[in-house]
Amino acid sequence: MSQVEGQDDLTRKQRREQARAQRKALEEAQAAKSAQRKRLIQLGGAIGVVVVIIAIILLATGGGGSKPAVAPKSPAANQATTEVTSLLQGIPQSADTLGKASAPVTLQYFGDLECPVCREFTLGALPTLINKYVRAGKLKIEYRSLETATREPETFRTQQIAALAAGKQNLMWHYVELFYHEQGEESSGYVTESYLQGLASQVPGLNLSSWSSARNDPAFATQVTTDAQAANQAGFNGTPSFLIGKTGGSTQKLEYSSLTDPSSFEAAIEKQLKA
Amino acid sequence: MSSRALRITMIALAAIGLCIAVYLTYVHYAGIKPACTAGESCTKVQTSIYSKLAGVPVALMGLIGYVAILGSLLAPEGERSRFATLALTLAGFGFSAYLTYRELYSIHAICEWCVSSAIILTILVCLATWRFLRGEHVSSTGLSGTLVSE
Repeated sequence: MSQVEGQDDLTRKQRREQARAQRKALEEAQAAKSAQRKRLIQLGGAIGVVVVIIAIILLATGGGGSKPAVAPKSPAANQATTEVTSLLQGIPQSADTLGKASAPVTLQYFGDLECPVCREFTLGALPTLINKYVRAGKLKIEYRSLETATREPETFRTQQIAALAAGKQNLMWHYVELFYHEQGEESSGYVTESYLQGLASQVPGLNLSSWSSARNDPAFATQVTTDAQAANQAGFNGTPSFLIGKTGGSTQKLEYSSLTDPSSFEAAIEKQLKA
Repeated sequence: MSSRALRITMIALAAIGLCIAVYLTYVHYAGIKPACTAGESCTKVQTSIYSKLAGVPVALMGLIGYVAILGSLLAPEGERSRFATLALTLAGFGFSAYLTYRELYSIHAICEWCVSSAIILTILVCLATWRFLRGEHVSSTGLSGTLVSE
């Protein structure tokens, strides 16, 4: 074999190796590309599954305005009226206050009528407190307003004044209780004039024309502002929030551990009764 | 970042998340108020109707979720374990986003423990996505981390 032939063979061998290396690199690049595509598909699939699960949870727990307000004169509205009437039967009311004026302890309840957590308290721990302490003349509850859940300040004022106007006939607590019982999904725009009128028509014994004219009383607008100032002074920025104290004396924040279990409220009331 | 450093960072984050979930689960079952600098906000969130899903406390769900994430991170590294971490952190992130929505728009109170967990899950899902998409990482100095091919 000549030297020239040997060099020729070497070059051919090098070329073969080069080609093999190129093929290998290409195969590896294709494999990497295919693996990356597979990963992106898996990522997309996982995101899709999570989105579907969250959407189901959201729908199942009442998201997206799925909870409409109770329609007036519907069976649900009639049931709410029966429950509220039975709860408040025989308990004196005066403007925004539920209970005897002489009750030794006063609880101030700061709420927003559209707030679902306030509804949780109103339908949860509150009935026990009313039956156990308010009915017995040991406690009176003052309803104060604080805008949280209601997005529109004008709507907040209108609905709160509608409740306060019922207070002019000493039926504000019926109106407030019915509002919470029949509450719709917040920010869904369910609080309309007909909704407010519908609630008023459900309050037993409420004179509708007197109620309508009372809604124009500027004193109620002032009261909404005063309530907001009181809440601000107490450092409240959420609802429901509570102040408790001896009637006519100073008040302090009531710290609760549950809105459905009345025990932390009962403990605070008992402490004030013994003080 | 090397695979090892990335995995250790994720394990540390998941461990912090687990501690938060353990504390919130304890608070739930002990019926005590959670430590909170924002007044009654944490109690409002913890005692709201949204604190349970199908009767199961969400704090307990978080605890189980973090344990599963940690498990996937401690498993030998490979395509499957990286995907498991990604799927679990994605689920945690989605659920955390739902809970934050509930805090802001339904409960109107923010629980700082829940926000901390949401931040941890957001970081975890970003890291898990990066880790999954880059596959078996080869650093400039050669292979890094424990690579177990499947």
